[in-house]
Amino acid sequence: MTTGFETAPVSRRDWLLSDRPTSRMQARLGRAYMIWLRFSANRLALAGLGLILALILVAIFADVLAPFDPVQGDLRNARLLPPGTGSYLLGTDDQGRDILSRLIHGSRLTLAVVGLVAVIAAPLGLLVGTVAGYAGGWVDAVLMRITDIFLAFPKLVLALAFVAALGPGIENAILAIAITSWPPYARMARAETLGVRHSDYIAAVRLMGASPFRIVLRHVMPMCLSSLIVRVTLDMAGIILTAAGLGFLGLGAQPPSPEWGAMIASGRRFILDQWWVATMPGIAILLVSLGFNLLGDGLRDALDPREAGR
Amino acid sequence: MTIQITKTFSLLLAGAALASLVAVQPVLAASPPDTLVEGFAFDDIISVDPGEAFELSTAEITGNCYSMLVRLNPDKTSEVVNELAESWSVSDDKLTYTFKLKPGLKFASGNPITAEDVAFSMERAVKLDKSPAFLLTQFGLTGDNVTEKAKAVDPTTFTLTVDKPYAPSFVLNVLTATVAAVVDKKLVMSKAKPVTPTDKYKYDTDFGNDFLKTGYAGSGPYKVVAWKANEAVVLEANPNYFGEKPKLKRVIYRYMKESASQRLALEKGDIDVARNLEPGDMESVSKKEGLKVTSAPKGTVYFISLNQKNADLAKPEVREAFKYLVDYDAIGETLIKGVGTIHQTFLPTGQLGAIEDKPYKLDVAKAKELLAKAGFKDGLSVTFDVRNIQPVTGIAESFQQTAAQAGVKVEIIPGDGKQTLTKFRARKHDLYIGQWGSDYFDPNSNAETFTSNTDNSDDSKNKTLAWRNAWDVPELTKETQSALLEPDSAKRAAIYEDLQKKVLADSPFVIIYQQVEVAGYSDKVKNFKLGPSFDTNFVYTVSKD
Repeated sequence: MTTGFETAPVSRRDWLLSDRPTSRMQARLGRAYMIWLRFSANRLALAGLGLILALILVAIFADVLAPFDPVQGDLRNARLLPPGTGSYLLGTDDQGRDILSRLIHGSRLTLAVVGLVAVIAAPLGLLVGTVAGYAGGWVDAVLMRITDIFLAFPKLVLALAFVAALGPGIENAILAIAITSWPPYARMARAETLGVRHSDYIAAVRLMGASPFRIVLRHVMPMCLSSLIVRVTLDMAGIILTAAGLGFLGLGAQPPSPEWGAMIASGRRFILDQWWVATMPGIAILLVSLGFNLLGDGLRDALDPREAGR
Repeated sequence: MTIQITKTFSLLLAGAALASLVAVQPVLAASPPDTLVEGFAFDDIISVDPGEAFELSTAEITGNCYSMLVRLNPDKTSEVVNELAESWSVSDDKLTYTFKLKPGLKFASGNPITAEDVAFSMERAVKLDKSPAFLLTQFGLTGDNVTEKAKAVDPTTFTLTVDKPYAPSFVLNVLTATVAAVVDKKLVMSKAKPVTPTDKYKYDTDFGNDFLKTGYAGSGPYKVVAWKANEAVVLEANPNYFGEKPKLKRVIYRYMKESASQRLALEKGDIDVARNLEPGDMESVSKKEGLKVTSAPKGTVYFISLNQKNADLAKPEVREAFKYLVDYDAIGETLIKGVGTIHQTFLPTGQLGAIEDKPYKLDVAKAKELLAKAGFKDGLSVTFDVRNIQPVTGIAESFQQTAAQAGVKVEIIPGDGKQTLTKFRARKHDLYIGQWGSDYFDPNSNAETFTSNTDNSDDSKNKTLAWRNAWDVPELTKETQSALLEPDSAKRAAIYEDLQKKVLADSPFVIIYQQVEVAGYSDKVKNFKLGPSFDTNFVYTVSKD
């Protein structure tokens, strides 16, 4: 108690946590900081974030990090070597390719799948859900029945059908997964929309003459965003598994691209004697899925409005 | 007291465990001493009627359960030996073959084997006109003339009249095929069902086809007792067999698809023989105590073919360059180790006239030079249709890597067998990897498919490999036909040697290896051998300790 209130220099922390923000900017930053504080208090969530950041870095610097060419192997001299042989840290596969290098390059494919599916499916689900929820009536009925149809099929089976129709390949796999993963987002966004459509601020905006389009885009969608982000992050693990499943069945990435699911499929034949060929990509999938799940859990705890302020 | 209870309880538990095992899967704990149990992926069997079956697994069943006039000599495959026939002769004009049957032979049913049965077997195969019928109809036999051309002169004399003076070695080799297996006329006709004749099928009987699909009417060392699709094939010793009696009472082929599960079952003693081991499993079985492996080269060659409809691939330099882009040695040492040997000519080792030339090896520099000469200094891109099974996918990936070194960008299009084969047969592929198994043990089978293209138009009736790759070669076609009519075996062999050299030098076929069939077996099993063809994988010589 050496300094008085008025003269104390406002620390960055205090400025961010101030309960009387003086500008919108300060309020927003303050809120973000609160979320970060809640998030960072969760050790597991931080571990998840670390895993995902590591994945992103590995994908960016794959060319530098990979010790070998991921597609050119040495069939004659380096086939099915166990981990730790020479400079092959994780061993080699049946074409004599370094498994570590393939995993590193495969991270790009995994990220691309996850990223593109999120970019396609989340906005689509959000749009369908908010429009249905806000418009109500027959629009709601039609949109929700379409959603029901998609939900009626198991996700993987529907994705399989789409890929079979579109032809195998990583692009088609991404498209198929995106097509099959938007319905839950639509359902969720609709539920959130129903919760806010009769609230006072919406009525106020409407009184001011805002068009339904503007209301949905500027005043309803933002309210759905935080739960959407949590849901998408939690779904990432599922998306990775679906992509790997398609790759495993030969419908995803095509040889020689180092897609993790396809790598497991080709290593399956050697599981009795050369366990590492299928195990290494399996571990990679496990780690990344775990990372996304932990991150998603942490985000839910941090973003959940019911938890906020407590 | 407590001990007593525990014992009873554990016994109960064991009983329950056993009961549940039996309920889930009829597993044989250990194979019985008088029974040979083989793990075998026989999903290709669609019928065990010798007049209809044309699948590799069925060939083994037919080979063990039926008799033919003549058989391939398993020890010297360029020869045939008599089985039902006591002797045969050919007329001077090379058109009529006369077979004398051994006297006193009986079918498993107890009916005597007569020339009438032989003639009937040919007649029904030709009239049913199923997949293997072409083997007989290529001699000019048709539904209308078969009773005239293949007939019983007296109970022990059968004559076959062919339409052209073919090389006798060719005719006899074809007669060793399972389609010429002799069936019991009396039994078959008693089970035959009436059918209403149509434009496509002009006869009022099914010649017992429905019965023989799962039934049996032969005279081989074993009888077919049951075939259940993707479950089991059960053979039982034939008490009326005229030759040396089989040593084991029963042979059971258990359906097992995966190499790994066959290996585990073999190690546990559930099966005595594992028939579909992949190279890796093969190697560990060979190292395991109490287990042995055996192998035999088969008449199947694997190749990559270049569709000549693609203008890039039709250039002779490109065709040659691709032959230098396969890493034969590495593939032979790794991907097909134990299941194949590197082979670059179209006739499999063991057939008349087969040569062993292997002029090609991986040579990227040479391939680049050839590609540059063809105008592809910067490389080219092609698609590659690959069936989703090993080892072809492994070979395709290896080729993709080696070809990339010469600037050839290969895009692999995987598919199941039906997809890739349909595309291949419609001539819509660029590159295709596949195999050709000899339909009968004669060089003509492979020579015809690799070198004969009588009509290169899209709606041609002839569907040989040369046609499927749009390789238009009138001279080679003529040469192949001339070999068929060459009565002198040495001269005939010389023609095939010449054909192989020409195909090796200039064809759109990059022939990679010849299949070797392998099997792992328990050392309790004695005298287990694989034959040179699928219908000579005999089990009747096998005994068990």
